[in-house]
Amino acid sequence: MTTAAFWFLFLAGVAAFAAQTATRLRLVAAAPNTFSIDDLPFRLRRFLADVVLQARTIRERPAAGLMHAFVFWGFVAFAGYTSVEFLYGLGLVDLTRTSWFEAYRRLLVPFAAAVLAGIVYLLVRRAIVRPVALGPTVSLESVAIALFIATLMITFLLAFRLDEASAAGRANWWAHMLVILAFMALIPASKHFHLVLSPITVFLKSPELGNLPNLDFEKEQVGLETVKDLGSKMRLDAFTCVECGRCQVNCPAWGAGKELNPKTIILQTQHALLDGPGDAKLGAVYSEKVLWQCTTCGACENQCPVGIEHLPILIGSRRGLVSNGDAPGYLGAMYNNLERRSNIWGLGYDQRTKFVQAAGLETFDPAKHDVLVWLGCAGSFDADFQKSLRSLFAILRAKSVRFGVLAKERCNGDPAKRTGNEYMYQELANGNIEDLKAAGVKKIVTSCPHCVKTIGADYAKFGYRVEILHSSVFVEALLRASTAARGASDGGARDVVTYHDPCYLGRYGGTVDEPRALLARFGADVREPVRNRDNPYCCGAGGGLLFADKEEEPGSRISDVRFKQLQATGAGTVVTACPFCSIMLKGAQASAGADTQFVDLMTYVDGRLQKATA
Amino acid sequence: MIVVVAEQRGGALNRATWETIAAAQQLGGAAGAPVAVLVPGARAGAAANEVAAADVQEVITLEHAALEPYTPDGFTAALEAALEQLDARYVLMPHTYQTRDFAPKLAARMDRAIITDVTSIKSGGEPAFVRPMFQGKLTADVVPQGPAPHFVTFQIGAYRVDHAKKGASAARVRALTVDVDASTVREKPEAPFQQAKQAVDLSQAERIVSVGRGIKEQANIAVAEKLAQALGAEIAASRPICDAGWLPMERQVGSSGQTVAPKLYLALGISGAIQHLVGMKGSSTVVAINKDPDAPIFEIADYGIVGDLFEIVPAIIDAVKT
Repeated sequence: MTTAAFWFLFLAGVAAFAAQTATRLRLVAAAPNTFSIDDLPFRLRRFLADVVLQARTIRERPAAGLMHAFVFWGFVAFAGYTSVEFLYGLGLVDLTRTSWFEAYRRLLVPFAAAVLAGIVYLLVRRAIVRPVALGPTVSLESVAIALFIATLMITFLLAFRLDEASAAGRANWWAHMLVILAFMALIPASKHFHLVLSPITVFLKSPELGNLPNLDFEKEQVGLETVKDLGSKMRLDAFTCVECGRCQVNCPAWGAGKELNPKTIILQTQHALLDGPGDAKLGAVYSEKVLWQCTTCGACENQCPVGIEHLPILIGSRRGLVSNGDAPGYLGAMYNNLERRSNIWGLGYDQRTKFVQAAGLETFDPAKHDVLVWLGCAGSFDADFQKSLRSLFAILRAKSVRFGVLAKERCNGDPAKRTGNEYMYQELANGNIEDLKAAGVKKIVTSCPHCVKTIGADYAKFGYRVEILHSSVFVEALLRASTAARGASDGGARDVVTYHDPCYLGRYGGTVDEPRALLARFGADVREPVRNRDNPYCCGAGGGLLFADKEEEPGSRISDVRFKQLQATGAGTVVTACPFCSIMLKGAQASAGADTQFVDLMTYVDGRLQKATA
Repeated sequence: MIVVVAEQRGGALNRATWETIAAAQQLGGAAGAPVAVLVPGARAGAAANEVAAADVQEVITLEHAALEPYTPDGFTAALEAALEQLDARYVLMPHTYQTRDFAPKLAARMDRAIITDVTSIKSGGEPAFVRPMFQGKLTADVVPQGPAPHFVTFQIGAYRVDHAKKGASAARVRALTVDVDASTVREKPEAPFQQAKQAVDLSQAERIVSVGRGIKEQANIAVAEKLAQALGAEIAASRPICDAGWLPMERQVGSSGQTVAPKLYLALGISGAIQHLVGMKGSSTVVAINKDPDAPIFEIADYGIVGDLFEIVPAIIDAVKT
């Protein structure tokens, strides 16, 4: 009788789980396939770190992350126990009386204690402390799930105290099993579905941050226009989201008071898939305005502990908008510049030629030169950034590096790619690839992190591979080898500086140590700002927002927020390593009327080198 | 004969018509052909009387129900009928939006050559028309072939209004009547779309006084405004000034603001960051005042003054006033 009742409840629980899961899996299966399992060793390493060891969960929020890890490890440890109890309850096989099961049960006691401690901590955090990342309202469902988990552990521990055959003992067993079945029924429609999906999602997440496969125009691909176009990984992401809000609190747009919240984007995707019509326009699902507020800094995607990729959705939707002519006005002007003059400023290339001549640069020749220096849009035209390039040239010459430049450059295409103008990006990229191949370039040095990322990583998608290094990496290796540098040893006072990591260098490129090593080499006292290294706070220039005016950028300027963070270090000098960070932050400094000094990393190094050799 | 097709709306002449008249006079002088101006549309009389001041042989008005309101079908039909009555070698038009709309259709209908967006005429022998190609990267000299009339449209600003020669006395104005079936017009125009106008259109300003962070504080904006007033100039600013709310956002010049091309751009305390420079690089004459001799603004300034703008600006105001 009780076995039959248990069978009935078991099948009801499984059916509820299966039905809801099937709805979601069907939506994933119906999508254009965007799953990929390239670079398996990396994926396995990341699986070990982020799923098994919970590294990404713990890294940003050590206390809550560790408590979560206790619960997760506890769940894994309990898998065998739960299976044995179900087999018993269903009358299939009774292993509960074996000696190994008894030993296993006892072994589980510390796990149960850890889970209990973890879940109580998380419940208090969610229901009473209520950090902003978890949203404005307390989720009753989360509270229920937390109480379920606590009940599971308490009933597990009580079983040691109660006579199994007694009424209390039976009730305890039933309570434990019923909670598990209710849990199964609740999971798929809640954020607790991450229990099932996140290991898969983490495994399937692209090894490359912000991975945007090239559109194939031959196949008339135009980017994401409607809900139907959302790819399989994007859909999996939507159902995996655990709503922890790491993406939200790390988003510079959200931090500056804008409407964009990456978590909302993922939840909107989920609702659109489950409830909305398949032909709903993504510009309406997410709001066009919000889509244009993303700087593509990549913080959301990089901090996500469950493997969600936000950038393919955000930039994919921009592609859909641009294909329909729905880009904001400031981008129209920039696209014109790229189309007519192949640079973001719309300036004539005679100005680049003038700089190249004035700086005494030679046209690259593989027989004469070891490396090509790529100037970029900023280096070609921005007098301010050209100072930094002159410093780089001086360092290279002092170290007898033989270098040349291309006779002609186009913008690498980054501003077009990140704003969804894929056609223009591919035109620029293909033109540059042709020129680089024709010139016989094998190794490139540039001071622009966007050029490093685009030429190095994105051009590979055309099958073009070249070694491209940011000047900080190249120069650090150069000085490490030559030992010429001296720093604090000269007895002078140490410079107090702060270093702003560019998103495309620190986060995308993982280049965080070389700039600091260069600064340390010359004895600088580097005061770290909040949000540094591989999780910097964006300057606000990325994703085409360099061209947005303040009204097109509601809330505070992202650059103003970042400038205040840098100012708070107390350092009078900000060292930058990206021309666009420099433009944005200097603008913020001027708006604030502050007397903070800015110096590009290469200018800093050149100055100290000259001092050292003087 | 060279026929200029004037553009007017409700009797108000589009000034670009004068530019085309200047081009026609040059072409006519070289080819020894008289110039006539054809003024199509309702209430053409007012506009016709205005262009009659030009040194042209005659002004011809063309009024017809098919011309009002403007439709490409109506214009094509009426102008084709009118040109059949006129012995034109060239038909010149300003390269306005309206011309772009109907002129190719008209030329195709009459099976004649059209050369668009012409910036100058090379005379000597057969006149050649110079037009930009490939987004202005090249220019081509184009000589029309085939039977007359040849259609030519002129880029706005390629010829100057004040280069159109005025006649000793007003030219003769006559009306031309054409027989066009107004029912062949397929388009039914809605009321013209009015784009929400930016309150300040700096792109049309002839003189601009622009303020940068060197102005130090909001109260000092008044100094720049005085100078702007004395020069009859618009006031503008770089990004930090507008971000700080010292001047409204619509007065921002640069890549994230307006793009301007005045005859005179006076940069006060502007360092000349690239995103500002790209918004004003089209200015004819740039005068920069800045304390910092290394400021990038001096790279593109025609006249640079290194010094304290609070000393220099009042001196300029005095000089302008006297």
